[in-house]
Amino acid sequence: MDKTTNGYHISFFKPTTPQARYNRNMVLWLVLIWVIAIFGFQLLLKLVEKPTPEAAYIKFQRAWPQVERGDASDKELAELGQATLSVLGKIMLSDDDKTVLTDGLSYSVYQLTPDSLKGELVAMIREFEQKRESIDNISNPDYIAAKMKLSDELSPVLNLSSLDIRSKILPLEIKSVGIEDLKEGTKTNLPKVMKKYLIHNQSFLTNFKFLGFPFHYFYTAVFLLILFVGLCLLYCILTDRVNAKLNIAD
Amino acid sequence: MKKAYLLLWSLLSFPLASHAATAATQLEGSFKVGPAIILITILVLFVLVGIFFRAKDTTDFYAAGRKISKVGSGMAIASNWMSAASFLGMAALMYGSGYHGLAYVIGWTGGYVLLLILMAGQIRKYGKYTAADFIGDRYYSQTLRAVGAIIAILISISYCVGQFGGIGLMFKWILGINYSWAVIIGGSIVLAYTLISGMLGVTKNMQIQYVIIIISFLIPLFILTYKFDYFWVLPQIGYGSVVSDAITGIPLSETKQLINSMGHEFAMVPSPEYAMPWDSATGKTFFQFIAIAFSLMIGTAGLPHVIQRFYVVPKARDARWSVVWGLFFICILYWSAPVYAAFGTILSANPEVGTLAKDAIVVYTAQLGNVHPLIVGFLAAGGVSAAFSTVSGLLVAGSSAFAHDLYVKVINPEASLKRQLLYARLATILMAIIISAIALAKLALIGQLVAVAFSLAGCTIFPLFLLGIWWSDSTKQGAIAGLIAGCIVSLISLSYFVAGKTGAVWPLHDFIDYWLGAWYFAWIGAPLAIVVNIVVSKLSKQTPLEIRRFLVEKVHS
Repeated sequence: MDKTTNGYHISFFKPTTPQARYNRNMVLWLVLIWVIAIFGFQLLLKLVEKPTPEAAYIKFQRAWPQVERGDASDKELAELGQATLSVLGKIMLSDDDKTVLTDGLSYSVYQLTPDSLKGELVAMIREFEQKRESIDNISNPDYIAAKMKLSDELSPVLNLSSLDIRSKILPLEIKSVGIEDLKEGTKTNLPKVMKKYLIHNQSFLTNFKFLGFPFHYFYTAVFLLILFVGLCLLYCILTDRVNAKLNIAD
Repeated sequence: MKKAYLLLWSLLSFPLASHAATAATQLEGSFKVGPAIILITILVLFVLVGIFFRAKDTTDFYAAGRKISKVGSGMAIASNWMSAASFLGMAALMYGSGYHGLAYVIGWTGGYVLLLILMAGQIRKYGKYTAADFIGDRYYSQTLRAVGAIIAILISISYCVGQFGGIGLMFKWILGINYSWAVIIGGSIVLAYTLISGMLGVTKNMQIQYVIIIISFLIPLFILTYKFDYFWVLPQIGYGSVVSDAITGIPLSETKQLINSMGHEFAMVPSPEYAMPWDSATGKTFFQFIAIAFSLMIGTAGLPHVIQRFYVVPKARDARWSVVWGLFFICILYWSAPVYAAFGTILSANPEVGTLAKDAIVVYTAQLGNVHPLIVGFLAAGGVSAAFSTVSGLLVAGSSAFAHDLYVKVINPEASLKRQLLYARLATILMAIIISAIALAKLALIGQLVAVAFSLAGCTIFPLFLLGIWWSDSTKQGAIAGLIAGCIVSLISLSYFVAGKTGAVWPLHDFIDYWLGAWYFAWIGAPLAIVVNIVVSKLSKQTPLEIRRFLVEKVHS
């Protein structure tokens, strides 16, 4: 604090008393730790990240060129159906993306069904759709029975075992209309949608586990908050010490 | 304090003991008697505690903190801070956008470090009662005092919109009515509550509110982690495995016959997008994460109702230590909110659950996890309490900004106390009407709406306080120029946001929408306001001697 001929003056970066100097240094150190701990870590996370596909995406990529050309084998069609179900089971889906995915799923199941049974397949799905619309409660026994029957019928088509969670999602997502051909919109958008939901930014920081957490998640959600409390505690203790040392009363 | 807890226990034990559980396994539905009784009981309790510890005079009212411990003051800070955005909104953000939601968690806590090391003690030493008072005095300008008051009112309104949204959602859930009616009924009750309790024992009430809010939030977490076989002793650590399970997926073979309240297995497909940073599935980027965290942090250090807490503690040392305790109590809730989002993600994974209102995911998670309906009701009542405590504080702050800073200090210094009180009440009613009308439009998630208030505070009040305290050469002209710069950035961002909501597409819409998003425009607005303030201050006449002298002798000695 300057009481020179220029008059009283306060500037954080130009302290003129021991207390102000000490305070400036302490604040700068704490802010530095704060900045590095918060933004430095996120920057590091960004720098080391590597787009990593899920297993479902690798299968999709393998099958998609053949599906697009219209000469996919049964195995490739099943892989397409399985991959779409892997995305349809996620909760962060937009409505538009969901439409593209259900189109892809329904198409793969339809193509895998023998021609003689296709009519029966559509009728079965339609019947389930009607039942689903008519019920008030999903615990309705008729509805549950119809859902299980559809799951049992369709899961083998996509080579899904009854222990695969996707077999439970299948009856809820398959459609009965417009499934004969792959629509142009679906053809264009399905690869984009799959890429959007099945490729993730991963690195050693996300793969390493700490107390059950992915490390980066623990660091941001738990550790940073501990650090904030710790920094505040440290500041108060140090300030009290300096004030005591310099005989400064509040 | 002991009397208060006895009162709390006797009132709470009545409905718990005497009322049977409701069949609230349905996520939505009809009027829920148990939760309604719990909610009414809690609100009555707040009013009774207020009467019990009523402020005897104005000094007592303003400086209630002088009689309470630093821990108690910390609880009051935490209660004042923990709103519907913390209680309901944070879990919603993580549920909807995964790791990106953590930007709000660190933003709303990390700002306290800045607030403490840059301002808390100095604000106390400055010795004013409101933010507008500080601005008007430090920058020796009645115009700035008036603008400061108007900004404080706008921030209060913006902050309250999200709270009213939360109150609406919880009333909708408890009463089984539609959202619009729920906002109108909930808004009317919170207005009546504010008018009744506004002059009562505020600080003591805040401690009770904190205890209720935190207990109601924590109990379901222990139950969820215990029921679903995770480390339940400390759910804030135990949920790490829930996050990892969401990433790798839970096969049906490993569900251990655990089901949600709708009968779906505790299983899901691999969903790394829930925890991986700036995942394309969330549509959020690295820049947005950083911009949100930064904006919320500086916004924290610029919010009038937060800063105001430090005026009422007896000494600067108490102001500093109350931040430590306040932040610790806040963190208890912030360590816990992600647990709801993680469980909610798995419990609602089956498509049959349908699309849930993200802002109510805390309550839905407890319901889906088969937590006892009365405990879920207590949780919902805790959410309403969080919103009520913040709203009543903000409405009082906003109306005092109008009646005290604007009307008495600028317009009519001769106004009688009776007239001041009348204007304060009218301002409270008017604000509640405006807030309800905006909340009905459902412009965004609760957390996002509240973040708007933070960016606004970060662009306007934060630079004025930061430079006002730490640089005596910051002048009136510099402050006005900086404020104009901050307001222009805010205006551009918010105009585009509102236009976008009405369907209008203005030039550069996508550009502004991304770089000046409504919940993070302070990332550029605040630094710009600071730079403009410094440049114009350098070019203008020096700050008057008495202000510099006051800063040297009172604030920094």
